[in-house]
Amino acid sequence: VTREAGGAVTLLVGAITLRLALTGDFKRYVRPGMGPLLVAAGVVLVGVGLAVVVQSMRRRPARSDAGSHDHAAHESPDDHEPERVGWLVLAPVLAVLLVAPPALGAFAVDRVSRVRVTTGELFQPLAAEAEPHPMSLLEFMQRAADRDGASLSTTTIELTGFVAGEGPSGFDLARYSIACCAADAAVAVVAVVPESRIGLVPDRDEWVRVIGTYESGSEAPTIRAVSIEVVPPPDDPYE
Amino acid sequence: MDVGRGRRLRPGLGTLAALVLGAVVLGRLGRRYLAQAAVENWTTIFVAIAFQALPFLVLGVVVSGAITAFVPPDLLPRLLPKRPALAVPVAAGAGVVLPGCECGSVPIAGRLMARGVVPAAALAFLLAAPAINPVVLVSTAVAFPGQPEMVGARFLASLTTAVVVGLVWVRRGHEDLVERAVRRHEHTGPPWQVFIATAQHDLLHAGGFLVIGAAAAATLQTVVPRSVTDRLAEHGLASVLVLALFAVLLSICSEADAFVAAGLTQFSLTARLAFLVVGPMVDVKLIALQSGTFGPRFAVRFAPLTFVTAVAVSVVVGGWLL
Repeated sequence: VTREAGGAVTLLVGAITLRLALTGDFKRYVRPGMGPLLVAAGVVLVGVGLAVVVQSMRRRPARSDAGSHDHAAHESPDDHEPERVGWLVLAPVLAVLLVAPPALGAFAVDRVSRVRVTTGELFQPLAAEAEPHPMSLLEFMQRAADRDGASLSTTTIELTGFVAGEGPSGFDLARYSIACCAADAAVAVVAVVPESRIGLVPDRDEWVRVIGTYESGSEAPTIRAVSIEVVPPPDDPYE
Repeated sequence: MDVGRGRRLRPGLGTLAALVLGAVVLGRLGRRYLAQAAVENWTTIFVAIAFQALPFLVLGVVVSGAITAFVPPDLLPRLLPKRPALAVPVAAGAGVVLPGCECGSVPIAGRLMARGVVPAAALAFLLAAPAINPVVLVSTAVAFPGQPEMVGARFLASLTTAVVVGLVWVRRGHEDLVERAVRRHEHTGPPWQVFIATAQHDLLHAGGFLVIGAAAAATLQTVVPRSVTDRLAEHGLASVLVLALFAVLLSICSEADAFVAAGLTQFSLTARLAFLVVGPMVDVKLIALQSGTFGPRFAVRFAPLTFVTAVAVSVVVGGWLL
């Protein structure tokens, strides 16, 4: 990698990092809190890349970009290796540009850890409300594990997640929680049993908002759905 | 850097343009194949690890560039005790204040030896610095939220390993193993130019190896069925060895490895501790770097010694703290 190419690579990585951070697309891969850190990293990379490119362009007319380098030092073998390995930095940038990978979907549900819910936490019963009560899948599972969903009783619940696949008598609704980035995701899965009059069975990986009530006595945490609505993927796909 | 210019083609701006253009064309042609679920899943995890690690990598590279450019090079040697047995723990502890990843600490250790620091002390520093500095400890804390004992265990196990290996080297090491004069490519000139050049060099170097690690981790997560890793993870000591070897093969930068370790949720915390202790000290890219800096005869002795020590210390510390 020549100096100016290295500078251009750094500049490109910085620019893509800034784009990811400013468009909010980074939330598909890492926690929302990483946003400011990514902006800072992008700014530094763009700055360093620009400085290198400008420096090497200024030096070029003199045909001596080795002017400040000691030739004897170039014989050590590890001096060349880092140069070549540097090209790999382009790989994630090109992946973002070309594949624009989506947030984790149904494919990975069987490949990551399932959220483990342990009983023991005692939940207060939900207050009766006119509106459906929005809740994370994780909380729904925790409440379901607590005295067979006693705190849920017959309250109308609203869950948002993606369709992970067909279930015994409906489909599985899933959503990942991440501690840090998509590589450490754990998934919460809730079985959805639609009322027979609903008919709509959404496709795999489609995001849906499910409104219904807790179905007690079932093996997996289950919601009996009175309404299933296809929605656009949320701003933050993880819980 | 331009030795051989004229004799062979140097990859430069033209190569960069060709790479980007080629990838765009290929991407257009292959979009329908790229959209397959497994490929998408691989890419999501790959990109996630890379961009999660990036801010920490940039921070480390900026700090190491600033130290190279603005801190007098003879400051550290002057602060060390003359007696090797004392210098080893002091040098290992000094790693706390020098943030950077392992790729940066190899050339620093080489420079220390060239400036008259006892080799064993320089090696203790080499092992400790990438694992126990604040940048790495903060990223470990971020990767394991709510588990501060992981940060403590990593600190303790890494420091202990570095001191033990250093003391063994005092008794058993031979001067001629590190005699290869360390004539590193050092950027010279005004401090700001040194800063920019060092930061840029370290970023491409460490970033490149990080990308290899992210790709390997994404492949394992996408390809290997859960049942296999679950079965491996069940056996206590075997899982420690598996993850220790995994760290050697993955060669992830110490500023990023905690995020990969956090993702290996099927393995026990002790096994993941071994991953975090071994990774910054022994891995494929480090063995290559060390052979280049100190010579191959050094590397074939140093790497196994460090690996065995790191695994043993991890098991003890993990059993005690985790």
